[in-house]
Amino acid sequence: MNEQLTPISEEELHAYVDGTLSDERRAQVERALEQNPELAARVSDYFSLNNLFHNRYDRVLSEPVPKRLQPPAPKRRWLDAANWPQFAGMAAALVLGVGIGVGTQMGKDVPGTTASPLGMGSDHSDTRPVSADASDGLARQAAIAHVVYMPAVQVPDSVGTDQDRDFVQWLSNKLGTDVHAPLLNKSGFELSGGRILPGADGPVAQFMYRGPGDERVTLCISHRKVNSNTTAFKLYQDGPVNVFYWVDGDYGYAVSGGIDRKVLLQLSHDVYAQLTAAKGG
Amino acid sequence: MDIRDELMEHVPRLRRYARALINNRDLADDLVQDTLERALGRTALFQAGTDLRAWLFTIMHNVFANQARKASVRAVHVSVDDDSIAESEFAVASDQTRSLEMRDLDYALQRLPTEQREVVLLVGLEEMSYADVALALDIPIGTVMSRLSRGRERLRALMAGTQPSAKLQVVR
Repeated sequence: MNEQLTPISEEELHAYVDGTLSDERRAQVERALEQNPELAARVSDYFSLNNLFHNRYDRVLSEPVPKRLQPPAPKRRWLDAANWPQFAGMAAALVLGVGIGVGTQMGKDVPGTTASPLGMGSDHSDTRPVSADASDGLARQAAIAHVVYMPAVQVPDSVGTDQDRDFVQWLSNKLGTDVHAPLLNKSGFELSGGRILPGADGPVAQFMYRGPGDERVTLCISHRKVNSNTTAFKLYQDGPVNVFYWVDGDYGYAVSGGIDRKVLLQLSHDVYAQLTAAKGG
Repeated sequence: MDIRDELMEHVPRLRRYARALINNRDLADDLVQDTLERALGRTALFQAGTDLRAWLFTIMHNVFANQARKASVRAVHVSVDDDSIAESEFAVASDQTRSLEMRDLDYALQRLPTEQREVVLLVGLEEMSYADVALALDIPIGTVMSRLSRGRERLRALMAGTQPSAKLQVVR
């Protein structure tokens, strides 16, 4: 295991930060970083810089577009485009609505049923990317937790299955329930850590996953004091971070990531399916 | 979809990039406006099927570079204290300690040479691939890499220098 590594070039260090290295080389860089704290600190600062850019400038995306930057001649129906980002968000939500049957009615109309967020064929079109009910709190918190904690994920060298189990057991005790971290390896995302966060509704378990291109995704599970009906998947967006969240009985779930919505949605489906299966069995 | 419609989809991102590039809201929007006007005048030159976003960033880069040339290097420097932007706009919700760090970021960015600032932002903020950046800026990919490397290192030093107490967050 102590093979001689080719020295890591300056370019490769940046390629590592930008997620463009091959898996093999990435692993080698990671090993080298573990042995060289100075190098690790530099790389960590580079990551932080990218996060800082987004924290600082992503808000421009949701600013209303000034009139002078809107198209000069109304060739089509531009009336809705006064605030383009919102419009775009709405359009995206409608697409999602068709795809997975997100409907804000769903949870309300079928109380106590096992209404599944995956239920197909909903005709409701009154979907919104952000709704104003209490579960929003979790989504927002999840988005913030994602941004705050994700860069700091540590992957201990020695994490093996045993440690995984111990950690999950520890989380379960903290949360006062059986927690089980869904496995997303199938989609290329590996469990890379977890922690307990204080939440308004009690402790929140946060699981962190790392994708093939070093994408970071977090899953937050909160044990809610108030039992609610199952809700549909909802989308919450905070800057670059998308959050799919839903409530299932006593639990609130939120899957966050600064990745493509379609990918994130697929992961959310995975999580939901696994958690539902676990409860059933 | 009409190319004009498509164009407008990119406006928020162009504005974001311009704002980071030029830390002044009005000047940044001027740059976006000039970019859009030029793009709208040249839609015929755009080849369907190619990356519209990359094309727009290319145009923006050219407009920006032209302005810089015309106005002489010194005049592109814009004030970091932009009174036209209300403080609340940049305040980060639920994390007040950020604002100082954020201002340092503006300050540090403006002190990067333009060509480094462009590369660092296109890669770090716009998340463009090195190849796309090379295309947009019309430079070899090796130059992208060296500007990125020098730019990030410089930014890191600037950030550390402006606020020695608050070291950048430690990540792996």
